Amino acid sequence: MEDAGIPTAPLATAHFASYMARDSQIHGVPLRFSFPPHPTAWVTREVDKQYVEGNDPITGQPLMQEVIDALTKPLTEEEEKHPVASTRPRRPRMLAPDTEDNLRRLFIRNGWTDGLPIILPTEQRVAEMLTGTDHDPQEVLGRMSVTPHEEKLEYTVEKVAVNAVMAGARPEHFPIILAVAATQRALFPSSTGSWAHMIVVNGPIRNQVGMNCGSSALSPLNLANSVIGRAGTLMTINFGDIDLAKNFTGAAGSGFNYNNLCCGENQERSPWEPFHVQKGFKATDSAVSLFRGWSMQGFTVGPQVGSAKKMAELMVRMGFPAAFIVDPLVAMSLKTEGFETKQQLAEYLVKEAKVAGMGGRQGRPIDGKGINFIILGGEWNPMFCTTDFTYLQTEPIDKWVPKAGIKMADPFYRMPAQAICSEGVCGLDLAILGNSEASKQ
Amino acid sequence: MSKHLIQVLDPRGQPSGIFGKALSADNEMMDLLNPLGQPETTLQTMRMAKRLPSLDGKKVYLVETGFAGAKEFMEEVQSWFTRNRPTIKTVFRSKGNNTFANDPVLWEEVKNNADAVVFGVGS
Repeated sequence: MEDAGIPTAPLATAHFASYMARDSQIHGVPLRFSFPPHPTAWVTREVDKQYVEGNDPITGQPLMQEVIDALTKPLTEEEEKHPVASTRPRRPRMLAPDTEDNLRRLFIRNGWTDGLPIILPTEQRVAEMLTGTDHDPQEVLGRMSVTPHEEKLEYTVEKVAVNAVMAGARPEHFPIILAVAATQRALFPSSTGSWAHMIVVNGPIRNQVGMNCGSSALSPLNLANSVIGRAGTLMTINFGDIDLAKNFTGAAGSGFNYNNLCCGENQERSPWEPFHVQKGFKATDSAVSLFRGWSMQGFTVGPQVGSAKKMAELMVRMGFPAAFIVDPLVAMSLKTEGFETKQQLAEYLVKEAKVAGMGGRQGRPIDGKGINFIILGGEWNPMFCTTDFTYLQTEPIDKWVPKAGIKMADPFYRMPAQAICSEGVCGLDLAILGNSEASKQ
Repeated sequence: MSKHLIQVLDPRGQPSGIFGKALSADNEMMDLLNPLGQPETTLQTMRMAKRLPSLDGKKVYLVETGFAGAKEFMEEVQSWFTRNRPTIKTVFRSKGNNTFANDPVLWEEVKNNADAVVFGVGS
């Protein structure tokens, strides 16, 4: 509007005053903002009226007079100039030498970590991480910003390696971390709604690097799941340029952001095709898929027969789109009941949800494509978890694997794992559950 | 505590001079942070418009942005103008689509008809 010759007077609540100042500075657009008190959401009309008739808490001046002044007071000499956006200098590749203790302080003080201890990214450690791929360390992998209003930062394969080292990853994990980086997604974007993401890995690489797809796969009990997910978090902080004091607006945040629910799908115990195959990959390919949402309804037990009906009820409560995290026991039961594919189950849920009068968020029609299933769990109980997560994208991993194969870690770098499930070895005896068909899977 | 000096790499990305661009009108909010649906652009700065000598007799558009509480707040702004500055004509509009999406139809109307605009309220 300003460019079209129409004076504007934007209003934002006082809580966003510094955010707006930063936004104006980096965009070179010094708009004349006025600030009513915060919040204006969920307050009574009487409060709104008081705010309108009251003062701007930032300047102490009457709010509406400021609005009128913003539209009528002549431009200052500074405002008359063609504004210049502030630019940031290129960053040096290496930080100044210092003691380990001081460098740890520096990383904490600059907000370059998730607050947990990190492995400091020395050249030697980063070089070792880079043996996990054949790609040129200086290859630009993408750009990211934690908010669409700010400048995107560019990152290379080497920058990804730096953050992978910090997360405690090993070279064997690096191809998966590069695939996560290639999505160019901030895994917890600046939003008052406090988004969470889920990272799901499919294909042979899950087992090659020792990811947990079974018992307690979403708990901090597996090195690969933990460090791959944490690398996603650190990349979001450092490539997304998060600064809680300046550009991050999460209302309460989300504990899921610590490692982004990183796991592998339990393909071996699933009666259905793997998730990445649904997305056009071969079963022999490895790929990483991202989902985004807010919340999970804790694991629900069964019923042994008719889980689909229960799923539909819970989805109606949680909302659409939806993703279900399904223990293999439930998946096998559902297949026995006649759901030959995940898609058939999704269509059934749509039908049930429509009967219940459910619509999609923001009036979107509900359809089977917006309902996804990840098979995960250790077969301790027939449980599933209902989430409001939306599928985003699937990225190939194999392109990042060295020609010589995955740089395998020393076996020392594996945490204890549940024994691989096979009938009568672990989990429940399906025959005892009366599910003889499922027990043949 | 070791006083031995070590050197480490900078973990932050490099400034690129590239920003996200306003979303198109038919973008769903859920697409907001999808970089594939978010064209990138290098920054172009804008000039500010000349200010009006007075708002008397002018048409001021009051555009509510769609954030929670914005409509009610801007309605109170309109009431204030009616009570305190009746010579100023106000036109109330709600930005269409969703909070984060563009509304080129409204912007065209504003450009054609408004003398000034108050946008609110960001929260």
